[in-house]
Amino acid sequence: MATVTDKSVTLPVGDDPPLVTGNLGFHDITQLVSYHTEKRPPSTWYLAFAVSSTLLAVLLILIAYLFWNGIGVWGNNNPVGWGWPIVNFVFWVGIGHAGTLISAILFLFRQRWRTAINRSAEAMTLFAVICALLFPTIHVGRVWVIYWTLPIPNQMEMWPQFKSPLLWDVFAVSVYFTVSLIFWYVGLVPDVATLRDRARSIWRRRIMGFLSLGWTGANRHWRNYEKTYLLLAALATPLVLSVHSVVSFDFAVSIIPGWHTTIFPPYFVAGAIFSGFAMVMTLLIIARKVYSIKNIITMDHLEKMAIIILVTGTMVGFAYITEFFIAWYSQVEYEQYAFLNRATGPYAWAYWTMMSCNLLFPQFFWIKRLRRSIPFLFVTSIIVNIGMWFERFVITVISLHRDFLPSSWDYFNPTIVDILTLAGSFGLFLTLFLLFLRFLPMVAMAEVKVVLPESDPHFYDSHDDEEEA
Amino acid sequence: MISLPIVDAPDVAQTSRLWRSLPHLRQDSEFVESNQEEFLPGASNPISGSRRHFLQLLGASMALGGLAACRRPVEHVMPFADRPEELIPGIPLQYATAMPLRGIVKPLVVKSNDGRPTKIEGNAQHPGGHGSTGVFEQASLLNLYDPDRSQVLLRNGTETSWDDFLSLCQRLQLGSRRVAVMAASSSSPTIARLRAELEASFSMTTWLTYRAEGIDTEALGIELAFGSPYRPVYHFDQADVIVSLDADFLGPTAQNSGHNTRSFAASRRLHADQRTMSRLYVAESSYSSTGLMADHRRRMTSASVSQLAVELAVALGLREGDSPGEFAVHLAAELQAAQGQCIVLAGETQPAEVHALCAVINQSLGAIGQTLELLDTGLGEAARPDALASLVSDMRDGLVDVLIMLGVNPVYDAPPNLSFASALERVSDSIHVGLHVDETARLSTWHVPAAHYLETWGDGRTWNGTWTPIQPLIAPLYDDARSGSEILGAVASGSFVRGYEQVRTTWMPVLGNEDFESDWRRVLHDGFLAETGFDAVLPAAAEFNGVIPTSPGGLELVIRLDPTVLDGSFANNAWCQELPDPITKIVWDNVAIMSPATARELDVAATYKRGRYYSDIVTLSANGQSIELPVWVVPGHPDNSVTVNLGYGRNIETTRPERDTPFWDTDDSTDVYAHGTLATGIGANTFLLRDALARPIASGLQVTKTGRTYMVVTTQDHGVLDVAARPLIRSATLDEYLDNPAFALEHEAPTPGKDEKTRFEDYPTLWEDQHPTGTAAFRDSDYWQNQWGMVIDLNTCTGCNACVIACQAENNVQVVGKKEVGNGRELHWLRIDRYFLSDDGVEVSDDPKMVVQPMPCQHCENAPCESVCPVAATVHSPDGTNQMIYNRCIGTRYCANNCPYKVRRFNYYNWSKTIPSTVQMAQNPDVSIRFRGVMEKCSFCIQRIRSAQKNAGLEKRPLHRDEVVTACQQACSAEAITFGDLNDPGSQVSLARSDPRSYTMLAELNIRPRVSYLARVNNPSSNLIEST
Repeated sequence: MATVTDKSVTLPVGDDPPLVTGNLGFHDITQLVSYHTEKRPPSTWYLAFAVSSTLLAVLLILIAYLFWNGIGVWGNNNPVGWGWPIVNFVFWVGIGHAGTLISAILFLFRQRWRTAINRSAEAMTLFAVICALLFPTIHVGRVWVIYWTLPIPNQMEMWPQFKSPLLWDVFAVSVYFTVSLIFWYVGLVPDVATLRDRARSIWRRRIMGFLSLGWTGANRHWRNYEKTYLLLAALATPLVLSVHSVVSFDFAVSIIPGWHTTIFPPYFVAGAIFSGFAMVMTLLIIARKVYSIKNIITMDHLEKMAIIILVTGTMVGFAYITEFFIAWYSQVEYEQYAFLNRATGPYAWAYWTMMSCNLLFPQFFWIKRLRRSIPFLFVTSIIVNIGMWFERFVITVISLHRDFLPSSWDYFNPTIVDILTLAGSFGLFLTLFLLFLRFLPMVAMAEVKVVLPESDPHFYDSHDDEEEA
Repeated sequence: MISLPIVDAPDVAQTSRLWRSLPHLRQDSEFVESNQEEFLPGASNPISGSRRHFLQLLGASMALGGLAACRRPVEHVMPFADRPEELIPGIPLQYATAMPLRGIVKPLVVKSNDGRPTKIEGNAQHPGGHGSTGVFEQASLLNLYDPDRSQVLLRNGTETSWDDFLSLCQRLQLGSRRVAVMAASSSSPTIARLRAELEASFSMTTWLTYRAEGIDTEALGIELAFGSPYRPVYHFDQADVIVSLDADFLGPTAQNSGHNTRSFAASRRLHADQRTMSRLYVAESSYSSTGLMADHRRRMTSASVSQLAVELAVALGLREGDSPGEFAVHLAAELQAAQGQCIVLAGETQPAEVHALCAVINQSLGAIGQTLELLDTGLGEAARPDALASLVSDMRDGLVDVLIMLGVNPVYDAPPNLSFASALERVSDSIHVGLHVDETARLSTWHVPAAHYLETWGDGRTWNGTWTPIQPLIAPLYDDARSGSEILGAVASGSFVRGYEQVRTTWMPVLGNEDFESDWRRVLHDGFLAETGFDAVLPAAAEFNGVIPTSPGGLELVIRLDPTVLDGSFANNAWCQELPDPITKIVWDNVAIMSPATARELDVAATYKRGRYYSDIVTLSANGQSIELPVWVVPGHPDNSVTVNLGYGRNIETTRPERDTPFWDTDDSTDVYAHGTLATGIGANTFLLRDALARPIASGLQVTKTGRTYMVVTTQDHGVLDVAARPLIRSATLDEYLDNPAFALEHEAPTPGKDEKTRFEDYPTLWEDQHPTGTAAFRDSDYWQNQWGMVIDLNTCTGCNACVIACQAENNVQVVGKKEVGNGRELHWLRIDRYFLSDDGVEVSDDPKMVVQPMPCQHCENAPCESVCPVAATVHSPDGTNQMIYNRCIGTRYCANNCPYKVRRFNYYNWSKTIPSTVQMAQNPDVSIRFRGVMEKCSFCIQRIRSAQKNAGLEKRPLHRDEVVTACQQACSAEAITFGDLNDPGSQVSLARSDPRSYTMLAELNIRPRVSYLARVNNPSSNLIEST
């Protein structure tokens, strides 16, 4: 393997700051990343795994409890037919947006800084989508016939109802999951081959060998790989936009004031990117510290993500305000009341939590010092996700609890099962993420090496591309 | 073993030409014997005996088996349906019977599915009925199947035999016993006959007609005025002006509420041919169903209502007194202008003197004979207020040896000052006949489980006096159950006579002996004996100059019957407990109702917090007794007054085991029947606050705050509706209506697609060829020829709840319990929305109007629920109903979210799993029982539509016009609900829908509901509006 280890050479730098700091060479990267999957995990890993798998066990027990007794164990009621499970579903789908956005859209836009974070962001996407898929599945009243939502040929010629946005959801989210999984796996192949080559034990070699699909690093392999990756990126890109648009149709297609809004698709996509980046940030701030990969996931990466959070947060905030304007402008009593009720009704606390977390806090990222402050970034990333969870709560629950006829208005109270199920879904998410960190390279080694100065013989001579063009 | 000679033994020796073996040829005895058998030895004797022996055994066992099956005596029950001879399995039969309720009987037709009564409806052909029913008639079905009914004969609390009881009856015949009977007020001629029999066989008998709710002040008052307790029949349809002095004559608790509602509705119904309506003035001491129908409502304490009666009499020149107030003067002028087309009536909470005054007023106005009929019941004088007190003192003095309590529960509901329980201990033989092992049963020597009226023979007379038989639809569910008349007969004669014989004996002289059997069959078939009503009388001038009692002041307490559980006799009925109170919408509780101002004064409140109300618990002290109740604030309730309802705080025993499930199973908390009886432990017994005369009004009430709070569950929030912004319930005055009959449409928001130029119908659609109405599946079915619709007249609906219970009974709607109603998971398919309505410009009012609106599924043509279901579990039928396919539903609840009326109901738990086995018998087999996790909602009683279509098909005829009647429509006394085929321009529903008052809810959503409402029209007096 070609490596450049001479750290004494100070490489000339172009206009852009280097994407990888610390003058790391090819081997350093390989070593830095692969090492964590080969060594014994640190005790903090075990501690975190114990906590998250306990939460996962809680989730499984509560699902069993739910299946045994019925939906009544949650707080859902007659006006509020969708409570926390759907809030959680939209929340997790939103989080599941960052990964594919980073790998696909930023790839197509030649944002080379993405290489440091795309692998873990994609993994996070997959696990978030798994959590997201869980909720609509368990939230139906009769889970044992949930397969009726799938177009399975049957002797009754009974098909799902293609007009229903819930059915579109089934397709959108499952397609998104499938494509994300394939995309992630294809990206993993060269790295898994690296792990295979480094493997000491026969079983590790066999498993990694199986997963690396006979990768040899041949020129032809690289050629096919790059093409596949590009095609998959092109395929995944519309999905990034479509999946949350379709999720937003669940609400926008209905006639309930507060749901029936044409702004929902872009607003939901912006919100999804917003929350997804926040979640990536939360996870990577911890990972880069624990795994000492600060040179690969640099402060510049975090700052870029902070800027995206600022932009999307402002877009979301703009959408919030637009909704109010349109409600006033429509002159429809029910619309006006729905939004007035959000801001001043019994759930005003939830609304203002959402507003401050999503619109107010990201505005601090205008200040460069705060964009580069690890503690501030970490706290804000968590606040943003709290805010985004509340956004879905505001949309789902507040719109439903008071709609057209005041006689049917009611209040929604979550039960302990609701709360623990949400906590349990974090258990599922973190368990999967910790397993990922333990067994697979958390950074796309092959891709990071591409952005190293060594892979560019012209040493960041930035005008060579332009000359050709 | 009987051995018989063998017939026709073959003469082998002579006939045999061929032989098979030497023994054959020789005719050895062994061979001959074996050859006589057709089969091998033993094969023809299946049992150890001969064929004949077998047949003998067979015959004997048939005879014995047949005898054993002859358990039921031959009693001819004539079904109302047209096939009396046979019962076809699966085809329900209908029988005419009647329900005793509050001293009269309500004529009914009861549906029986394979021997189980499943639905109660009114007997439309009955001269004292009208085909509709009230809440209690409907709910009484569940009383039959109450799993907590007492099941065995008890002596001092332990099970005993009928021989034991009969030996008591025989013992009573010897020696001179002093017998007293406390019987629930009854109109039964059989009971009256047995009473005479009883009085003949015992030297001293006391008969007390016991009314838990207190003395019949109306009868007493009319007796005061006319000298005889004539029974009033009000013809509101003839009246132009109606003045109700605290009379909730339209409410579910009114004795004759069905007739009142029907005739009142007739006076309010507006259409092209009827453009006038009556004017209703109500002065009342608590908000009632009558109050919300009023054109002018005055809230005032009960004592002030009495004073208003006096003022009215003064204003009419019938009495001397201080100069009357403005309102009384106005009323007097209105009444006089009505020229006899008027009614003044007082409520049950008013003293007899006010009733007498009303009688005088009515007579002086010339109402009697026009709008008010007085019937001579010939039942003697009205019960005296102190009759109970004197019986109790007799009991205490040891003057009563035997006390028979028929269908009463005085230990629970007698005035506490009388100490009935301690007096009962002095009676050596007390016999309690009741449906439950209740408070009285436990303190009585004997408890006889009463048979429900659907299990027994009986009779009674309706309000107008028509003789009506009560025939059973089912044998008593419990072997020991007996009717009151059977027990009375046993005590009177010392021997047991079946109710069937008793009733026939009573009817024999009435029907005459010549053709008794056929007449009897006809009576049972029809459910009444024609022309047996009481005669109307025109009494001589009424005279009443008595003093009207005045209140000593202080806080007033009004104690009234509960509109859902009555006097507690329906307290163990899950349907009634879960039925929202028509005014407060509270379920499973009773509360102390007061006005906002009084609540502020007392510094108490019902605080709304997260979907539930947390009410301050107060101690109410009156007449030396105290109880604790949570407070409830109703705008429109008079200040300085507290209203409580009777019927709660029961304590019924049951032998049913508790349901105890492991911690991971919620069945024990979701099953309302899980922990003992339903009634026990709910609310407080407000009977305790009454004085010794059981008067419904107490003055000088003390209210103290305990500092504790209690969760009260309602199905609807409080709130004042800004009617201009949300035109859900539309109303106008009569003048406005006459000016513009289509006033309701002026409230309509601009609706896209309704404009002449941009009608949605005119747009081309992408799927024109594939429009569902063009498909073979649609055209091949005949269903599309009918398009079902419903119209609800808000001008006549009183919100009495009868339709809600009727729907519940018809459609197997399950009960979820207080906790789950609090969680917002009640299942009623039909709810009655109640809104307060304040005058323009008033933000929150202490004296708002109230309006109600029944809200079933609207069966939208563009149903928003249908398009969002991912599995097509809710679809449109060719005949225009929105249908719920339970076994396709996976329970996403998206349809419920997208329903703008929020009429869809989700099964959050498996409610049907835990129904007790007796209650299972009450379920309608024509309607699916819903499993957990599926959505349900009003189906327009699709089973009734299909059954009518099936019958029409069998009879090879088209459906008759208006042949299909939904359960809610059937029950409605006001005839406010019209249902039928919109394709038939002559059907009632088409006519009603084209009424100018007709509007649909949320029309601007373009969902095109099939249910439309006729806007409400009020008829306020212009003079009174100007003067206030």
